Amino acid sequence: MPVVDIDTDELRGLTGRTDTSDEEFKEDLFGLGLEFEGETDDGLLQFEFAPDRLDRLSVEGVARSLRYHYGDDRGVYVPDTNDPEWTIEVDESVPDERPYVTGAVVRGVDLDEGALESLIQLQEKLHATMGRGRAKGAIGIHDLAMVKGAPLQEGAEPSITYRGVDPDGDTFVPLDSNDELTPNEVLDEHATGETYADLVEDLDRYPAIYDELGLFSFPPVINGKRTEVTTGSRELFVELTGTDQWTIDRMCNIICYALSARGATIEEVEVNYADGATHPSEYGAELVRPNFDTDEKAVGHDRIETLLGVDFEPEEVVDCFERAGLDASYTLDEDVTYEVEIPPYRVDVLHPLDLVDDVGRAYGFDNLEPRYPDVGTVGGRHERSRLEDAVRTSLVGLGFEDLLNFHMTSGTENYDRMNLGSGSDAFGGGDPVEITEPYSEEYTQLRTWATPSLLMLLERNTHNAYPQDVAEVGFAAERDETEDTNVAERRHVAGAVARRDASYEAAKGRLQALCDDFGAELETPRTEHPSFIDGRTAAVVIDGEEVGVIGEIHPAVLVEHDLEVPVAAFEFHLNALQ
Amino acid sequence: MRLPERQLAVLEAASATDERTIDEIAAETGLKPETVTGAAFDLRDEGLLSVVETAAETLGLTDEGRRYVDDDLPETRLYRAGLALGADEAAVSMGRVIGEADLDGPEVDIALSNFARKGLGSIDSGELRIAADADPDADREAAALAALADGDDPAVDDAVLDQLDSRGLVDRGESVTRSVTLTDDGVDALMTGVEATETVSELTPELLASGEWRDVEFSEYNVEADAPTAQGGRKHVLRRTADRVKDVLVGMGFQEMEGPHADSDFWINDCLFMPQDHPARTHWDRFALDVPPMEGIPDELMARVEAAHRDGWGIDGDGYHSPWSKDFAREVALRGHTTSLSMRYLSGIAGAELEPPQRYFSVEKVYRNDTLDPTHLLEFFQIEGWVMAEDLSVRDLMGTFEEFYRQFGITDIRFKPHYNPYTEPSFELFGEHPETGEEIEIGNSGVFREEVTGPLGVDCDVMAWGLALERLAMLTTGAEDIRDLHGTLADIEFLRDAEVSY
Repeated sequence: MPVVDIDTDELRGLTGRTDTSDEEFKEDLFGLGLEFEGETDDGLLQFEFAPDRLDRLSVEGVARSLRYHYGDDRGVYVPDTNDPEWTIEVDESVPDERPYVTGAVVRGVDLDEGALESLIQLQEKLHATMGRGRAKGAIGIHDLAMVKGAPLQEGAEPSITYRGVDPDGDTFVPLDSNDELTPNEVLDEHATGETYADLVEDLDRYPAIYDELGLFSFPPVINGKRTEVTTGSRELFVELTGTDQWTIDRMCNIICYALSARGATIEEVEVNYADGATHPSEYGAELVRPNFDTDEKAVGHDRIETLLGVDFEPEEVVDCFERAGLDASYTLDEDVTYEVEIPPYRVDVLHPLDLVDDVGRAYGFDNLEPRYPDVGTVGGRHERSRLEDAVRTSLVGLGFEDLLNFHMTSGTENYDRMNLGSGSDAFGGGDPVEITEPYSEEYTQLRTWATPSLLMLLERNTHNAYPQDVAEVGFAAERDETEDTNVAERRHVAGAVARRDASYEAAKGRLQALCDDFGAELETPRTEHPSFIDGRTAAVVIDGEEVGVIGEIHPAVLVEHDLEVPVAAFEFHLNALQ
Repeated sequence: MRLPERQLAVLEAASATDERTIDEIAAETGLKPETVTGAAFDLRDEGLLSVVETAAETLGLTDEGRRYVDDDLPETRLYRAGLALGADEAAVSMGRVIGEADLDGPEVDIALSNFARKGLGSIDSGELRIAADADPDADREAAALAALADGDDPAVDDAVLDQLDSRGLVDRGESVTRSVTLTDDGVDALMTGVEATETVSELTPELLASGEWRDVEFSEYNVEADAPTAQGGRKHVLRRTADRVKDVLVGMGFQEMEGPHADSDFWINDCLFMPQDHPARTHWDRFALDVPPMEGIPDELMARVEAAHRDGWGIDGDGYHSPWSKDFAREVALRGHTTSLSMRYLSGIAGAELEPPQRYFSVEKVYRNDTLDPTHLLEFFQIEGWVMAEDLSVRDLMGTFEEFYRQFGITDIRFKPHYNPYTEPSFELFGEHPETGEEIEIGNSGVFREEVTGPLGVDCDVMAWGLALERLAMLTTGAEDIRDLHGTLADIEFLRDAEVSY
């Protein structure tokens, strides 16, 4: 879950609540769903919250939420914007994989250390969340004074260009470096470049931003040093590139709202997708950004009442909306419906239901009285679950310790250490369901049978007293393309007797008792299985169908598992006892 | 007359004229004193013997008292140390005297208070002076301790003994001496002749069949001795917790679900309105399986789910601005939650089309690529439950979960507003640990979004919740490392010793 780092002095300034203590803030923020997690080394308070309200990723956004919470602000707020002067030209050479760009100009900025840090934090946290690690959206913030955008022709506006660049072509000096590097050299030699290399390295042309002087930013990897933002910067150029116009527009809005909260003025920019561009945005080829248009959604009074289980007057509902930073109007018809206006920094309102949640939060879910629903249904367990349970009860009665082992294992454990090959006809030798790109050598596939798990457990418990009689009723799976999921999932019954006098007879005696419990007829015709001793191995045939194997475990398998006592074991399909 | 062998021995050793003590009889017969006592009381009950009890006070040294016999009383040591440092001439600092006397810990306080009480000297402003006329050799407390140590009568008045008792140096107790004499009946019995009954060690089928058991005496066991612990099998502690959960839910009217562990991403995530670029759907969090994609997903359902993702659901619905592909939806992976089962049941594909009201649950395994630690495993059990009905409210959700957790002794549930992609409103559930009182997260809940229920063809409300079974089990068993319980690393002794819960 996202974490926001808060300087409470900044919070006091931005909320105007100079007398509020840290403890009071913590409590108020908990009410908003931000949970205090601890302090950073610099003494900032860290709060964790669910990833819906990404507009709260900065102290400015948290302050805005608090002002609504305190009732100091009500309803939708949209900052004023000035008309555009700058244009972002989108060149045809832009990589197809990252076609979209947006931006804003911000003037009258006064950044102290804290505000600059907060801006950088917001940028990084938006990258991590909405930006999906910069893949979906990446933010570049530049000192406008250092961007040179002389109009190409008389009377035109100043512009920068979003385009593609040959990886080994133009050079620039990236942040945290003094060297002129090509984009490829950035990926190879620069620490930040190495981190984000996988986002671009497969592209023919890399994304790049140019001004009159040339390449100055290499999104989504790194900005150039020339336009670096410092506490001395007074005017900023914000640009965002990505794979989805809506996403980068909303990220841009959240940044602009944060800067506006510190008194800066937002100035629009034009975004001009080239004529005949393969990927103009879904909103047209010529855009004016940031887009502070509000959204509207309608939600019925009735729905709010039934979902929250509370009777409301319409005025109360409107009050809740306004305290949530929304505006709402309604007409008093037979069915009251609210037209709700949603500010452009909200990224989490996908459905009218989300507005009911906002009403609930503003009303206070704590104020709802729990009630047990007056709904009658009949309960019961699934047949397979009852069968599993009955078999476990029988096994336990026969003295077996009931086990619960992992379903994931490795080919080594499942086959090799059992003396068994995969794809063989022997029980347990079926084709494995393998994990694509496993993370650990210990878990590379689903187990095809449970006996290897029992032996692993015995191996782990050689220091404990014998006898160790263990059993499991559990899951096993094989690759099977006749199944809907291409995986055949089964429940197996497996038992092992580990003791000085463990013998075929000991295992069969117990299996016979188990079959008797379920009125099943057991036969044990002789068979061969590489995990068991020849001549002491039989197929488990229940009610005429071959469903498993029983025998004394082969000494080679015992020694492989560091066992110094004989082990007799059986395993078969649970369904045979149905 | 027949008597058990040991009773006969005691009867023969007793006298009609002299009182004989239990110890004397034990010495004569070679029986243990407790055996003689038992036999004597049995004989008294038969009217053959009379038993007289005499109580006497006993006096002994405590460990501390015994130590002072060897080392001298602390106050005496303080006196002698003071003498050695010339405190009879001029006052000496306390620190030096205590050091010289080698006193430490509580002995210092003991020495100081008794030093003053016995007039061995005076202490003023941290300096110690010895009284000229003091004579620790004439200390009656020390003399009494020494006498007791030698087993002699201390020969002092009660005041001194009371003082020693209050200092915890002597133990005062009471002992009972039992003496026996033959009664007239006892004498008669001996005169007419008494035979010993036979003693056997085992009750055999033959003894039972012949009726000879009536005439034999069974040899005594040491019934207090340890016996080797019997070993039986038992159900796995997690299974037992799961059974308890199932009992509770069935009692609340829930039906159990089942379904595939390996399932398509469609059922695992897409139906849950999880965007395909959601961080939890990346390679690192899930276990994708190397099998062909799943083809058997109904086309219409797939189209409705895709529409919800792309364009939203309902008139005012918005979709995600995320890529969506059928290919990804058809990929097969191990389920990261059992909500995939809920999706299958709600869609009707798992069985009949469901009409409200319905309640369903499962307690089944899920798979997540987490870091293994004492509270996290790659495989664990999820308790999943949902209620489908017309016009369910958040209050119904709260009431249902309060009732569920109350069954496990967890009360005062708190509902913290939360966010899930698939429910709205959503709540994290917090409760108090029944023993430590600590506030812990015990579940996640909410009302399924219309983007979830709509495409599945459900047009009423469904509220759902989930939590890890292991979390509940750790609360009820006190296990601190989940790896002791679950998997092939389990310790068989731990499983055998885990306390039964019910």
